Amino acid sequence: MLGALLYLRLTSLKNILLSRLRRLKQPKYLFGAIVGAAYFYFVFFRRIGGSGGPKFTVSRGLPVAALPGFDLASALGVFGAFAILLILLFTWALPTEKPGLAFTEAEVAFLFPAPISRRKLIHFRLFGAQLKILISALFFTLFSRGANFLGGGLITHVLGWWLILTTLNLHFMGAALTITKLIESGVSAWRRRLMLLGGVTLIVIVSAVSLWRNAPPFPQGNFGPGAFAHWLAQVIDAGLLHWLLIPGKIVVAPFLAPDTGAFLRAAAPAVTLLIAHYLWVARQEVSFEEASMAYAEKRATRVARIRSGGGIGSAPAKPRREPFRLRVSGRPELAFLWKNLLGTRPYFHWRVWTTSAAIIVIGVPWIVRHDENGAFAAVISLVAAIFTAYALMLGPQLARQDLRSDLPNSDILKTYPLAGWQVLLGETLTPVAILTGLIWLALLAAALALGPRAATITWLTPGFRLTAGLCIAATVPVLCALQLIIPNAAALLFPAWFQATRQRGGGIDVMGQRLIFVAGQLIVILIALCPAVIGAGLVIFASQWLIGASAAVVLATIFALTVLGAEVGCGLWWLGERFEQLDLATELRP
Amino acid sequence: MIEVSALIKRYGDFTAVRDLSFAVQPGEVLGLVGPNGAGKTSTLRSLAGIIPATSGTIRIGGVDLATDPVAAKRQLAFFPDEPRLFDYLTVRQHLNFVARIYGVADYEAIAQPLLEELEIAEKADQLPGELSRGMKQKLAIACGLLHSPRVMFFDEPLTGLDPLGIRRMKDSILRRARDGAAIVLSSHLLHLLQEVCSHVLILKKGEKIAHGTLAEISAQFAQGETGVSLEEIFIRATGGSEN
Repeated sequence: MLGALLYLRLTSLKNILLSRLRRLKQPKYLFGAIVGAAYFYFVFFRRIGGSGGPKFTVSRGLPVAALPGFDLASALGVFGAFAILLILLFTWALPTEKPGLAFTEAEVAFLFPAPISRRKLIHFRLFGAQLKILISALFFTLFSRGANFLGGGLITHVLGWWLILTTLNLHFMGAALTITKLIESGVSAWRRRLMLLGGVTLIVIVSAVSLWRNAPPFPQGNFGPGAFAHWLAQVIDAGLLHWLLIPGKIVVAPFLAPDTGAFLRAAAPAVTLLIAHYLWVARQEVSFEEASMAYAEKRATRVARIRSGGGIGSAPAKPRREPFRLRVSGRPELAFLWKNLLGTRPYFHWRVWTTSAAIIVIGVPWIVRHDENGAFAAVISLVAAIFTAYALMLGPQLARQDLRSDLPNSDILKTYPLAGWQVLLGETLTPVAILTGLIWLALLAAALALGPRAATITWLTPGFRLTAGLCIAATVPVLCALQLIIPNAAALLFPAWFQATRQRGGGIDVMGQRLIFVAGQLIVILIALCPAVIGAGLVIFASQWLIGASAAVVLATIFALTVLGAEVGCGLWWLGERFEQLDLATELRP
Repeated sequence: MIEVSALIKRYGDFTAVRDLSFAVQPGEVLGLVGPNGAGKTSTLRSLAGIIPATSGTIRIGGVDLATDPVAAKRQLAFFPDEPRLFDYLTVRQHLNFVARIYGVADYEAIAQPLLEELEIAEKADQLPGELSRGMKQKLAIACGLLHSPRVMFFDEPLTGLDPLGIRRMKDSILRRARDGAAIVLSSHLLHLLQEVCSHVLILKKGEKIAHGTLAEISAQFAQGETGVSLEEIFIRATGGSEN
């Protein structure tokens, strides 16, 4: 019987690979595959052959291996074991819709009524998981090979990752089956969580007491990240936690082994632990069929939604609070803002924005007042600046509450008595509002953090600072709109390509396509910004002598907003025309 | 109410609809039938303004769909075979959204009786994910009817409905026609045409094979025989194959 199941797995794998190869005949996939392969080669594969990996240092100029008394592998073993402990705690505490043994709808339909024992079904599932684990182990090895200070060979790293991932996978299955068994025997989820919470509280108290009595000294002077890591490892690996971390350390030890001999010595206990997990899962006498069937159905619905162009996440389980009252009269574009805000997370609500702003207005000046050497102010400004840059550059890829989410409903949207540009404008309003709100909060925090330092610069008068701040804030919505036009244009101009890039696990070609999109967006936005930035600079240069710096900045902002607004307007109008011509059914035809 | 003249729809080299002309008057229900690939859906989607026609003229309530699509679309409603709903809007919120789009001033006064008529008033605060297939279909219909359209296009309106739902859908279509709406529906279900349609348009490979009242079509293809079923007429008209 296992032969038939093996045949199913291997044939499916072969067909997947063949279909991926066949689609390379289409230029869009071939081009994506070339870009994806090049990315992998330059970012990962060259590391394996070369010596381009990062050098981990404990203190300035002193390599890790050269520091006496510090064993990096041990420290990493502690961190790895601690991470595993946290993962397992969450596994047991948090509810998950995924059953211990997850099957697809086709597997449920073919295998559940077939004359196959439950034990064999479990083995089938375990075997099926191995394919993903092996691929994951290879990928993780590609990532971790950069850390060449660890030692060990390519094979030991792959096997090390395989041991970690397989043991974790078995633990997840065993935990889910055990939880099902507990529920069947009348132990409620809340009782289980209370017991777990009690246990965690006890561990935390005992560990805290132990740490308080025997705390290792914090590194002094100009210490590097290595010394800090060493201190942290000592803190974690003490008292009761030391004992709780032992299984985790056993699991990660083969991966951290510096040579083959050490690997073999570390592998023996790790494999024993893995076998124990296997026996635990294989011998569970618990019903998994109903949960598996329900999950298979949900997963099939989700896949169908993604394939038809819907969102990647699940549909909401209950109605959300309306962001504002939608009156019947007024601009129809606002109806899209209202609708799409309903589809976002509930925290994108004006009350949350106002509260966040109040916290920043009160909290940041308080921190800055108590920050004698200005370190926290610098950190707040830096974080805000990085956040703003990320929100502007990557935000449009993440905030997709626009036409990209509504593309499957385009037939209905097109029957509305609205011009194409109106639909596009309405659809774009929600991500613009969300990104603008986030960036405004970051700018507010940065302005408040830098305020005292800026006050020491003579020419940065309060009036100029306020004017410049407001002008920067005014450009944010238009910049966000400009950024959002590009992914929406991609969705409209290349719907088939766009659909492919939003599906999970599309392969190296789809990854390459995503890279092309991001690079394309960057290039287009830079070109689009050029006239506004150059023009605004010229306006300031030419007018500040006549009307003063503040007025020149205002004038330049008006100029930049006009140029950017015109670009956004033209973009929306052109995309609206394109939307009116779009026939999604035809575009998505293979 | 619906005037179609020399409509052509091409996809690249492939012509889905060829030189199609017909008209539907207020109170008439036109059944669009034909074998798979005959061009029914392309015709319906062109009429509803979802896809642009390659050439030809479509007038909805006297308004040219190509030159003034907004005014034309104000008068029509399109009901797809698969209800397309927004996952995160409740039944009531769907109607609120559509009311704003169409500017239906007194939408609450219209929505409540509509929900009651379609028997989904009790589900007003539920999301589409909590509704059955039939309920979703009813919600899509309520959204389409909210702005009291004078022209309606139904694509396979009975798909996924239970026998009671089928009966109610037929009654609803007939009632809207009696109230003066011009209706075009596309379906493979010949009994639906027999019970609901006043006129039939048979398409094959994008071309009009026959157009007229049911009696006229029967007379055209019965070849003098009496008691010939609509199924037999359809087979004779289309030559018994897709090609």
